[in-house]
Amino acid sequence: MKVTFPHMGNMYIPVKVLLDTAGIEYVMPPLNSKKLCECAIKHSPEFACLPFKTILGDFIYGLENGADFILFGGGRGQCRLGYYGDLQAEILKSMNYRVEFVCLDLTNLSVMEVLHRIKPLVEGKSILKILKGIIDAVRTVYMADQLNKFARFTRCREIHKGQTDRVLSQFHTRVQKTEGYKNIKALIFGARKAIKQIKLDKGYNPIKISLVGEMYACAHPGINFEVEKKLGNMGVEVYNNLSVSHWITEYFIKKLIPVRLKNKSLEAGREFIGTDDIGGHGIHTVGNCILSAKNKLDGVIHIYPFTCMPEIVAQCAFNEIQSKYGIPIMTLIIDEMTGEASYITRLEAFVDLLEMKRMHSVNARLLTNSD
Amino acid sequence: MITIGLPKGLFYFDHHILWEHFFIDLGCSVVTSRDTNRDIMDYGVKFCSNETCLPVKVFHGHVYYLKNIVDYIFIPRYTSVYKNEYTCPKFCGLPDMVIFNLKRQVKVLEIKIHPDKFPSWTFDSLEAVSKLLGIKYTCVLNTFKKAVSEYHRHIWDRFRENSYIINSENSKAVIPVLGHPYMIYDSYLSMNLIDKLEKRNFSVYTPRDICREIKRENAYPFQGKVFWYMGFELLGSAFTFTQDKNVKGLVYLTPFSCGVDAFIVEFMERHLYSRYRIPLLKLMVDEHTGEAGFDTRLEAFLDTVG
Repeated sequence: MKVTFPHMGNMYIPVKVLLDTAGIEYVMPPLNSKKLCECAIKHSPEFACLPFKTILGDFIYGLENGADFILFGGGRGQCRLGYYGDLQAEILKSMNYRVEFVCLDLTNLSVMEVLHRIKPLVEGKSILKILKGIIDAVRTVYMADQLNKFARFTRCREIHKGQTDRVLSQFHTRVQKTEGYKNIKALIFGARKAIKQIKLDKGYNPIKISLVGEMYACAHPGINFEVEKKLGNMGVEVYNNLSVSHWITEYFIKKLIPVRLKNKSLEAGREFIGTDDIGGHGIHTVGNCILSAKNKLDGVIHIYPFTCMPEIVAQCAFNEIQSKYGIPIMTLIIDEMTGEASYITRLEAFVDLLEMKRMHSVNARLLTNSD
Repeated sequence: MITIGLPKGLFYFDHHILWEHFFIDLGCSVVTSRDTNRDIMDYGVKFCSNETCLPVKVFHGHVYYLKNIVDYIFIPRYTSVYKNEYTCPKFCGLPDMVIFNLKRQVKVLEIKIHPDKFPSWTFDSLEAVSKLLGIKYTCVLNTFKKAVSEYHRHIWDRFRENSYIINSENSKAVIPVLGHPYMIYDSYLSMNLIDKLEKRNFSVYTPRDICREIKRENAYPFQGKVFWYMGFELLGSAFTFTQDKNVKGLVYLTPFSCGVDAFIVEFMERHLYSRYRIPLLKLMVDEHTGEAGFDTRLEAFLDTVG
């Protein structure tokens, strides 16, 4: 059995570690390929959200290249993500692919059920190796996301522009050719060291922007036009806590420990939304905006795929957040038709406005002090 | 006496009997907004963001209409409707959306409904309602229970009078109309779709005319799984109608950019024709849709199905 999996930012590194360690064969789709998405768009419903289409594109590539097993997470609830699996299985079946599509209910996970469902995949493999693979993969998730965090810090401060990006792109090409936890760990540490050696402009005080919104759109550079990189190279420090590692901490690790820890963004979001669940990350989006304002960031960029229902609800609260907390918020909606040029123009304009706002507040402070 | 406003949109078409009974029995007077018209829709469009779907925009228009003539506007917060049957995220955030979009000018009374995970939410919000209206909690609770049983009785009555019989001997051709209740029963949004079909001498059935259990059994591929409430209703009735030899074709009315319909219609489109040879007309409307274009599409479809 050969397995294939969709991309989501750095997620492929831990998945690779897991499958390599467990000794499972796999097909990995290429990173950030527009061509794959186009093929999927042909077969998807018109108003399905963009993540549905890119994920389907990755699956189609995998199946074309010899994979015959797909493991995907679904769930219950209001967001469409929970029902992706059923429709994708249906579409792939109608395209005459022979595939075993296993959709796990992530909200109601039991170990026995998971083992039963993935039996054909792990038959004849040692359980110890799989467990080791899972532990190594989780460690890799944290390391890979930390690398991104370092990159966000250096990208806006580096003296010679483009150094961080060069290190990262070298890292990504090398990771795809490397196997095994130890080697990948060495690569991550190497990249981290290289990033730390980049010369920084110590006195530079960058504009600080946080990314909020739908998790896949924020975490996957393939569909958000590498917004982190673009902003970073404009000299903006980006804050983005929507990553796989954050998700694992919130939904698995916090559930495992007996002490109930609060989800900060959810708590903050309750100020504006009178319920616990509007599906997807709607309340977290509202909460993250408020937290960004409280952490004295300069602005917020809200990204979501066209027709994403929870984010439309969250968007309604923005006017009030902007006036109450005084933080500017810009919403960017992406779909397969979004042009990159207009996207950059809007980012540049937003950053310019934030710079002007900062300059005015500095001037105002000087004036009041001189009185 | 406290007046409660019921906006004629979204949940109204499914559950208005329940809420009207509830508030009248509590001793409030209930004011329902008028049927959707151009003004109401324009106000809704004005207050909402562009991405919001048409029924939600229209709902805002209804709330705006009621804003100055009632004390409280009632907006329930449905998260799930039955066990394993969820609603669209906009229903979950509806009271918040309305408050934000109308700049906090309205007083909203909300009752949370979430039988799938937290049935206790309903009781908590009933307690809040009892405090707000100054009525004893036990009294509110009893009234609510009575209203729920009244609602179920009403459904059964309607069912007994006008039930849909598969393969009935009545030889009239059948065109079922599918879509969210707030689309197909709102005569302005649906542009009198049901009347137009009846005038052409078709008998029209809607998901309302089929028994709930039958719909759940036929809701391919989600039988026994978790899905949207609306998804069960529509998929279930579509595949029930396929068993009827009098059915000439299905008409599906959907608002532009409806996220739920995107998935539901896809399942129908993939199966109705290839498996049952029944044509499906998908009519998509938004606030710019002209009636002439709508009619042309409908007439062309009716001509082809004969």
